[in-house]
Amino acid sequence: MLRIENLQKNYGAFRLDCSMEVLSGRVTGLVGQNGAGKSTTFKAVLGLVRPDGGKIEILGKDSGQFGAGDRQELGVVLSNAGFSGYLTVRDIIPVLGSLYARFDKAFFLEQVKRFGLPDNQKIKEFSTGMKAKLKVLTAISHRARLLILDEPTAGLDVVARDELLELLRVFMEQDDNRGILVSSHISGDLETLCDDIYMIHQGKIILHEDTDVLLDNYAVLKMDEREYETIEKRYILCSRKESFGYSCLTNQKRFYRENYPKLAVLKGSIDEVIMMMIKGERL
Amino acid sequence: MKGLLIKDLKLMKNMRNTLIIIAIVALGMSFYTSDMSFIVVYLAVISTSFTSSTISYDEFENGNAFLFSLPVSRRDYAVEKHLFSLLMCGGGWLAGSVLTVCGGVFRDGLDPAESVMAALVLLPVAIGLSSFMIPVHLKYSGEKGRIVMIILMGGVFLIVISGAKIAEKLGIDFRELGERMPVMSDGMGLAAALGISLVLLLVSCKISIRIMEHKEF
Repeated sequence: MLRIENLQKNYGAFRLDCSMEVLSGRVTGLVGQNGAGKSTTFKAVLGLVRPDGGKIEILGKDSGQFGAGDRQELGVVLSNAGFSGYLTVRDIIPVLGSLYARFDKAFFLEQVKRFGLPDNQKIKEFSTGMKAKLKVLTAISHRARLLILDEPTAGLDVVARDELLELLRVFMEQDDNRGILVSSHISGDLETLCDDIYMIHQGKIILHEDTDVLLDNYAVLKMDEREYETIEKRYILCSRKESFGYSCLTNQKRFYRENYPKLAVLKGSIDEVIMMMIKGERL
Repeated sequence: MKGLLIKDLKLMKNMRNTLIIIAIVALGMSFYTSDMSFIVVYLAVISTSFTSSTISYDEFENGNAFLFSLPVSRRDYAVEKHLFSLLMCGGGWLAGSVLTVCGGVFRDGLDPAESVMAALVLLPVAIGLSSFMIPVHLKYSGEKGRIVMIILMGGVFLIVISGAKIAEKLGIDFRELGERMPVMSDGMGLAAALGISLVLLLVSCKISIRIMEHKEF
């Protein structure tokens, strides 16, 4: 659905050099700190910024050939942009109806009602959560094939987040030929939604793994200095000096559970993995 | 394109109060002055400036980035702004012309044909002005755009004044020059002026497309 090969973009000292892929029928997550390059990657895919190098292929077309008409197939949420805040929900319905050939007005109105969005109030007067809901509804209401969602759940409470994630799951279940690229700083969202996850740091992809593998096989090992000296380091990806000794990230949890039964082995959450990959020292 | 036009018309709702004030001022002026050109140009230019306002509304909170992630090309956007401007300018001009032609006929007993002709002469001026404004506002957003606009207007004014002074020193009499030129009927002159203003609009549209295609969001 989406293939990015050595995408390059330079902003002063910042350098993006990113390769990744979103496959049909899959939800792919992109995680990283603020300023890691997530939004720049999204913007380059959407043609909002001009890449300095590399290749982007969207729905089988080179990004240079991917025109306005092709964007009928995309549903987009941008973290810091949306419809003009001076418009109302009622205003944007005919706009979406004219822009998208397959805009599903009945579905859109139903969801607007479900999420309690006021239809005659200016968007700029909406709460952060209401704006986020409207953005996602806008993205999924025209039967797109590929959703590109930059921080779609930002500012939402737990219940609203769960409802939106459920909408995205239903969106995927309706058609096997759909795909989603999503970024979020809420790792819980990604753990329950994504099939695979890319981790980006300082403009570079530092990890790509299936979510199941990440949650099942990755772990953080806690040990003192003596244990660290003797432990098998073949399956340790990176380590970090702590006050008690060392924290080590492994992708072979079972190996250490079986061979070092006394070792503290903590389940690898996405947050833990990000922390270790970014702050730890590669071995 | 249709979606963008609908969006801009919806945005116009935010300028409802301004529109009412403009209408009242124009109506008031029509009672106190017989200078119709001022009212027509006033309404046409003010209406054109609504296009600049919609550009600012689009830019609000990085809205352009989202807009160009929809099935909207940058070319469509630039063309739509010119179309919208033409609609606004035409609407303002029409309202001003109706007001002043009616005033001229019913109050001052003028010949309606003469009044309509005078109103038509002002249409190219209004179109020309709107052609000038859009690329500047697309290139320089917000406050910067307004400053550049003022500087450019001042520049044009300075060039015209300097040109007239130089011509005066060189002994060139434009009135005499005009009289010596081949005779052109009022209708032909008007058609030529309208033609020139539409060419200006096309050039402006082309420049605007270029500006938009080079922008990053």
